[in-house]
Amino acid sequence: MINIDMTGRAPIYEQICKGFGELIAGGVLKENDKLPGARTLAKELGLNPNTVAKAYSRLEHDGIIYSVAGKGCFVAKQQGNIQKKLMENFDAAAEAAIRAGVTAEELKARVDTVTEQNTSAKEGEQ
Amino acid sequence: MIEIKDVTMTFEKNKGEKENFIALDHVSLSIPDGCIYGFLGSNGAGKSTLMRLLSGVYPVKSGSITIDGESVFDNAHAKGNMFFVNDETVQYSSFTLEDLKKYYSGYYPEFSAEVFDKLIGKLGLPPKKRMSQFSKGMKRQAVVAAALSCRTKYIMLDEAFDGLDPAMRKIIKTMIVDEMMDRNATLIVSSHNVAEINELCDRAMLLHEGHLLFADEIDEIKSGFCKIQIALKDSVITKEQAAAQGIEVMQCSTLGSVAQLIVKGNSQDVIEKLSKLQPVLLEAVPLTLEEIFIYELEARGYGADILKEDK
Repeated sequence: MINIDMTGRAPIYEQICKGFGELIAGGVLKENDKLPGARTLAKELGLNPNTVAKAYSRLEHDGIIYSVAGKGCFVAKQQGNIQKKLMENFDAAAEAAIRAGVTAEELKARVDTVTEQNTSAKEGEQ
Repeated sequence: MIEIKDVTMTFEKNKGEKENFIALDHVSLSIPDGCIYGFLGSNGAGKSTLMRLLSGVYPVKSGSITIDGESVFDNAHAKGNMFFVNDETVQYSSFTLEDLKKYYSGYYPEFSAEVFDKLIGKLGLPPKKRMSQFSKGMKRQAVVAAALSCRTKYIMLDEAFDGLDPAMRKIIKTMIVDEMMDRNATLIVSSHNVAEINELCDRAMLLHEGHLLFADEIDEIKSGFCKIQIALKDSVITKEQAAAQGIEVMQCSTLGSVAQLIVKGNSQDVIEKLSKLQPVLLEAVPLTLEEIFIYELEARGYGADILKEDK
């Protein structure tokens, strides 16, 4: 469910955080769902359990998950932190596009198209 | 906790050689419990020598090495806490796995025959065949299984994944993770596969010609370097211009009007300093551990001459 790019530049713990953020934002993991234990995830991904633990403590610090002693980690009630992160990613992409000469109108039109495609896809599912 | 303090290891010169060979030059390093420590280094950097000193194969003549406060050489108690998987397996050639089990159960007080049988079963290795008939990868699997069965607090794997196929690497890694979680074991692994060290280890060090270049948590090491893309308004930035802003440039190359700098330092600091030049483009990306390895060694002239000839 989480993909780690081993040759990637981003630290592995950040990739794990991002992976869970996406799963939660996408509704795969819902509030109070249990996250896999550090050992399970480390074995599945071939990672160091300390790295997984570091990612979990970061997620907990950001209020995305909470931990219960002896029971594990669970998805917290979301306060919009993941959305904030996603918007930051969007900002960076938009900035690069503007630098490359894309106009504000083109960007806005693009956002409208993507929104439209997503709503029609959702309706199609239902 | 393993403490290596100011260790120097010199091998006496052979006939016909002028100077003694310094394999390790004033190396200091501490390895905390419960981590997986990666030993990285160029060929002949001194990784294996350090491992042999840690396991008490060689005596420490200059400096000190202590494991939980005890020195290792000729100390059976300290050695009982440490298992060293040598990169050579030729010494086991005449053994069957049954022999190997008997051999290690005599040396290591915590040896578990049950764990050994379980691991051998999991790996599908034949218990009654001589190890000389094993493939390279099978020998490696057998020794790693023996290492884990000895249930020592510290396990050292020299060239950890040499000769193992990707599926077997994953199995061995999951076994290592279990050891860490169940017994708070500490692992030291050396490998030339930097990407593998990156995913498995939480700490790493880099050796080159007997000198320790750095040692830290991998995330910390990575945040100490970055790759910068920068374009100024009407000129291409030079190494000197960047250096004048207080930036340590390891490498500088240009493509059109954009310069790519490999610099030492945290990306935020570097961006802050370079923005004073009012660039039209300024971006920082982190380096991979592999890139850090290559740039650090190139900066010391390792491989650089050969690379230049190609250009």
